[in-house]
Amino acid sequence: MSSDFYKSSILPFAGIIIKLCRAYTNSQQDFEDYYQEVCLQIWRSKDNFREESQWSTWVYRISLNVCLTLLKKKKNNVQHFVSDSIATEATENNYAFSNESLNLLYDAIRKLSEIDRAVIMLYLEEKSQKEIAEIIGTNPNNIGVRVKRIKIRLKKILDGKIN
Amino acid sequence: MEKSIENIWKEGFLESDALVVPKINDLYNQKSIHLIDKFKRMFKINLIAIVAFSFAFLVISFFVGIPIMGIIFFVTLSVLVYINKKLLNDLEKIDLGESSYKYLKVFNQWIKKQVTINKKISRFLYPIIFISLILGFWFKDAEGMPMGERLVGEILVGFPDTNLIFGIPLIGIIIALVIIGLLALFGGRIYKWDLYIVYGSVFKKLEELMTDIESLRS
Repeated sequence: MSSDFYKSSILPFAGIIIKLCRAYTNSQQDFEDYYQEVCLQIWRSKDNFREESQWSTWVYRISLNVCLTLLKKKKNNVQHFVSDSIATEATENNYAFSNESLNLLYDAIRKLSEIDRAVIMLYLEEKSQKEIAEIIGTNPNNIGVRVKRIKIRLKKILDGKIN
Repeated sequence: MEKSIENIWKEGFLESDALVVPKINDLYNQKSIHLIDKFKRMFKINLIAIVAFSFAFLVISFFVGIPIMGIIFFVTLSVLVYINKKLLNDLEKIDLGESSYKYLKVFNQWIKKQVTINKKISRFLYPIIFISLILGFWFKDAEGMPMGERLVGEILVGFPDTNLIFGIPLIGIIIALVIIGLLALFGGRIYKWDLYIVYGSVFKKLEELMTDIESLRS
């Protein structure tokens, strides 16, 4: 990959990629692997970008699709799907940020299903229901209801933990 | 007063350390950990291994006097490689830039197509390999005559009343047909069982993701 492409087309959107990858990983090593893989797949797929959507939306799609279908190495070297029991594993990533509330919020997000994680991340990034539906490929009418349910679940998980 | 999750999100990412970009080195030369790339790698290695094995076996079979077995192996495995190479080409077409639903659906469809085709092939592959083993050894030269005829001759010495059909003991034909039938019956299941040991959790997870997205679509 040319460093020019990375600097001009990926680095300005690194924030999006970082936020998504953090939600699907629970260790710094996994996070770095996922980040690299997303960048690699964006570069490999760049010729398929048809400018029907914004580049940032397209980066969201690639990042999300890669995170949903990534393989993660387990300690016993058996490869399995990324999200297997992710919520029950020890979360080394608890302290990825210096902001304690953000760490707790991420911990709570990791307890959601893969699709709910995607929905709430896009919602928190202030994407409209239509954009969320387009990125995930669902019906926009159902996104609002799902967001409400997810927020209730997150509040329950975070109840009493954050002042 | 409790903070809303929206505020936690916004305030959290205002801090300078929140979005530190990881260092990436020699990215393109690193081995991809993506599922589709892993499938591609595995497929390519398998196909190369099958081609190498079938060709080596073809050559060896002529030297050890079982050319029929070598030729049948080579032709059968070449067909298997050709079909799977075409399947591999379909995998290259999956576009990561599509919506998650479409992307997962296309990928799921590819897996199902791959499993269905290889299951069907396995129902023929295992019996053909078994038949090639029998024919290979039957026609192998054993001191001036085919090994099969020599074996039948020895059986007839010990059991003169053995029923023969086209010069082959009936009991042998029945046993061979039963084995061929069982291989045809269970070939697909053996393939699927083998595949699910390696990728069972992946298939299950894909199904769950699809179900979850479909519930949002309805």
